Amino acid sequence: MFSNSMADPRRQNKILRYKPPSTDTNPTLEDPTPDYMNLLGMIFSMCGLMLKLTEKLVFQLKWCAWIAVYCSFISFANSRSSEDTKQMMSSFM
Amino acid sequence: QMLLLPFMLLLLASPMTWGRYDDFDDGEDLAEFDDNDFAEFEDLSEDAGMEPEATASPRVAAAPASDQDDDDDEAVVEIEDAQDDFEDTETPDEDIKYDTEEFEGFEKSSPSFKDPINIITVPSHLQNSWESYYMEILMVTGLLAYIMNYIIGKNKNHRLAQAWFSSHRELLESNFALVGDDGTSKEAVSTGKLNQENEHIYNLWCSGRVCCEGMLIQLKFLKRQDLLNVLARMMRPVCDQVQIKVTLNDEDMDTFVFAVGSRKAMARLQKEMQDLSEFCSDKPKSGAKYSLPEFMAILSEMGEVTDGMMDSKMVHYLINHADKIESIHFSDQFSGPKLMQEEGQPLKLPETKKTLLFTFNVPGMGNTSPKDMDALLPLMNMVIYSIDKVKKFRLNREVSGVSSTHAIVLIGCRVFGASLYVSLGASQKADKNRARVEENFLKQTHAQRQEEAAQRREQKKLEKKQMKMKQIKVKAM
Repeated sequence: MFSNSMADPRRQNKILRYKPPSTDTNPTLEDPTPDYMNLLGMIFSMCGLMLKLTEKLVFQLKWCAWIAVYCSFISFANSRSSEDTKQMMSSFM
Repeated sequence: QMLLLPFMLLLLASPMTWGRYDDFDDGEDLAEFDDNDFAEFEDLSEDAGMEPEATASPRVAAAPASDQDDDDDEAVVEIEDAQDDFEDTETPDEDIKYDTEEFEGFEKSSPSFKDPINIITVPSHLQNSWESYYMEILMVTGLLAYIMNYIIGKNKNHRLAQAWFSSHRELLESNFALVGDDGTSKEAVSTGKLNQENEHIYNLWCSGRVCCEGMLIQLKFLKRQDLLNVLARMMRPVCDQVQIKVTLNDEDMDTFVFAVGSRKAMARLQKEMQDLSEFCSDKPKSGAKYSLPEFMAILSEMGEVTDGMMDSKMVHYLINHADKIESIHFSDQFSGPKLMQEEGQPLKLPETKKTLLFTFNVPGMGNTSPKDMDALLPLMNMVIYSIDKVKKFRLNREVSGVSSTHAIVLIGCRVFGASLYVSLGASQKADKNRARVEENFLKQTHAQRQEEAAQRREQKKLEKKQMKMKQIKVKAM
């Protein structure tokens, strides 16, 4: 048969299993957005709580709280697969 | 003492009721409201309707100490509530006129009627209208918009991924024994589907083919699920990308480093990639020799490699799909991007792997539809072709330029002053390059390695001393 060029290139014996790339080797390549957003969210929620304690600036407190909520949403949308849902839920809180 | 408590309450409550009556402008209105508010109560119990008024008027005139029953307390509460009702229904802008005749007796006792009426607007946080919640409404609307965009974006990315896979599935399944693996199952069985890493990245692992170890395909879509990203992209359009990484066994590839792609990508890769910066020191060259478009450039270790790689079929692929090709990078020394130089340079050469990397841009510049995925199929054909080609490609091992027979003739002719120029074969050049790189690396780290060796020696000395001390102590004991 003249089917050398059409020979099946597949080889069962040459199968290699998938190894997920380790993240310790390239931490800089990963997108830092969800981490930043998490941090911002926590900072704003802290601010919100502190302002509430002082009870001075009710208006600013509202802004802080809402921004914190937005930050947690953005962090969730950008999140990497390796992060678990518990962390997500706590950030929403 | 039991009576003292309600008395105190009345004392406290009465100034408020006094104040209320001042604000509460005139008796005529009182009568009007009475009629309107208590109209429905008229039939039921006129007493109930009249009661607040009846108790109110004596309260206004009489001293607060007169009634000390519990009923009065309740009446006080009732009045206050009634006052609240009156205040709410009263619009701040209402012009209140009064009939002077009706209030003959009041003029002296309540001089406030002659003063201009101060209509105090109720502060916003006490109002019960929608306006006071405008901020909350705004924020919640924003959040809803974000959530909607999240769902829509996520679904779009998913559809694009599935479209890509369905159009490429046949080609992949005819070339690889294993198509789709997430690494978790016991048996090496094709899952036949993409792994979803997150809402915008999907990957696919294919393996089981001649000429290569495996191929990892990453579909890097835009973050359509993040509204911020969507808005940012309106300023600066970006493409979806498909990244393919083929890892090869040692025998599958000869030793060379080569890259071709858009000029911008080449410049960036040359700076970022460890192997390209070390082995391809020249600036990206134009591909005009091969009729490549102007915006494409070539980075190569040496001319033979370029000539070897740019055969007619490859050039054909490159020209026809130039807009979709971001970069193509073949390397036997691939170790990823340059690591950030920390305090101490890494002491070991980074691990290298023979790799072919392809980065393709999905047409549509962000506004892609599932149909656009078919346009990437010829590029996958190019990938398969490249794998087979790289396996067959071997650098020239002969001493080229001046072959050995020529050398003998020249010596025989005794051409004085003519230096015998022997150009090394491409393969030897490549080996030389690699040796040079390793040498440079060793030189750079020499000083540091010396320091480390000295430290280790010192530590050993210390340890020996400590051992000796211990032995002496033991002996003494």
